Amino acid sequence: MENAIEVKDLSIKYKELKKMTIKQSLLHFRLNRTEEFEAVKGISFSVEKGRILGIIGKNGSGKSTLLRALAGIFSPDRGTIDLMGNTVSLMSIGTGFQNKLTGFENIILAGLLMGFTEEEIRKKAPEIIEFSELGNFIYKPVRTYSSGMYSKLAFSITALLETDIMLIDEVLSVGDIHFREKSGQKMREIIRDENRTVVIVSHSMGTLKELCNEILWLNDGVIMETGEPDEVIAHYEAYMKKL
Amino acid sequence: MKNFFLNIKKHYKYAVYQAKAELKAEIANSYLSWIWWILDPLFYMLIYTFVVVVVFGNNQPGFPVFVFIGLTAWDLFSRMITGSVKTVKNNIGIINKVYIPKYIFLLSKSFVFIFKFMISFALILILMLVFRVPFTLQMLNFPLIILSIYTVAFGMGTILLHFGVFVEDLANIIGIVMRFLFYFSGIFYDIAIRIPKPYNTILINFNPIAAIIHQFRKAFFYGVFPNYYILLIWFVMGIILTVIGVHLIHKYEDSYAKIA
Repeated sequence: MENAIEVKDLSIKYKELKKMTIKQSLLHFRLNRTEEFEAVKGISFSVEKGRILGIIGKNGSGKSTLLRALAGIFSPDRGTIDLMGNTVSLMSIGTGFQNKLTGFENIILAGLLMGFTEEEIRKKAPEIIEFSELGNFIYKPVRTYSSGMYSKLAFSITALLETDIMLIDEVLSVGDIHFREKSGQKMREIIRDENRTVVIVSHSMGTLKELCNEILWLNDGVIMETGEPDEVIAHYEAYMKKL
Repeated sequence: MKNFFLNIKKHYKYAVYQAKAELKAEIANSYLSWIWWILDPLFYMLIYTFVVVVVFGNNQPGFPVFVFIGLTAWDLFSRMITGSVKTVKNNIGIINKVYIPKYIFLLSKSFVFIFKFMISFALILILMLVFRVPFTLQMLNFPLIILSIYTVAFGMGTILLHFGVFVEDLANIIGIVMRFLFYFSGIFYDIAIRIPKPYNTILINFNPIAAIIHQFRKAFFYGVFPNYYILLIWFVMGIILTVIGVHLIHKYEDSYAKIA
């Protein structure tokens, strides 16, 4: 089976190049530069095409950082990420909507950013709007949305504009009970598609056991274990209890 | 630089759609809708003309045209510069979701500003008719003039976009610098006449916006040849600044999301 994701010796550092004032930047420019925090420390793994990888680990262990690196938002400080030319999208809480623009415009813009053409998005748009259950609100500015509507739209866009690789950060389902069921269903459908490679970050062990073929346990930026979901999750839970 | 053009080509549609949506959103809920795009610069011009003509007693014929040419060019320039500093902050939601070369945001904004510039420009033509400023063939130099303002502003914008991420109070500083520059760019007075020698030539030669406004007026207000060397020099300067800015952004943009 061919690989869809190959990660080799990946390191990602947060440079403590924090925001500064002019005064600070004049006085301490060099000094500030040196402090670094390594969130992901030289990890290597690969995911076969069509497989579902779950990533677990305690808070601050580098899970979201890794996901963002896979999405191309952060570039590696060391090592390589090869997606074998697959298209990729990241699904996470707090999407990049622009509040003053309408939901519809946001659908188009999000799609364009994900690399779809305007025609493709327009063709998919009715389906997205229907799935999001927003009705006429879709033509109103996003700032008028409730938080539920907001996340429903965000979910619908990423779920229906399908890419080869989907990275899912804690959002397996959103909205009220009804939508939660529907979105969970949709998610399973997407995830189980044989051609789609999925990486899920979640704290819900039950869901991960149910969905994933493989689990990667990340602890303080290094891989503790990879392997069968039941096994790794058991080890992880035992470890977390001891803390 | 090759990457720069490839990226622009790839994200051009996004930039255009974004600009259109933004313009639409601006007027979506206002009573006078698109009329504001005309009223806004018109009143701006009236206020400055009032100050200059009534308060300072300048009665040079066609003076409102003179002022409005300055304001139109200044607006494009200052909007680009002021807008660039907070680009990353304003788009952090998108930046955290997907990779996009950060100058695409600047490009998209610039389309909005150029649209407004064109409306102001149309107003210049109308004012010229009203105040009987003759139309001459020199007006064909218009594309060269806008090209040099745009390139300089875009170049500076890319550099400010980069530093705006790291330096928290850069926006405050730019605000002050722009206010200062506004009064030293000869927008409602003629630098060549009002400022004593040799400072007037220094200002005209070293302040890009003053230099370009001066050429703009030569072509439109005075109907004489603009100085092509000046326009070319600032165009080339703009290209150099863009190369530097784009290089900075390419090199550091992946860390923007980690900081902002």
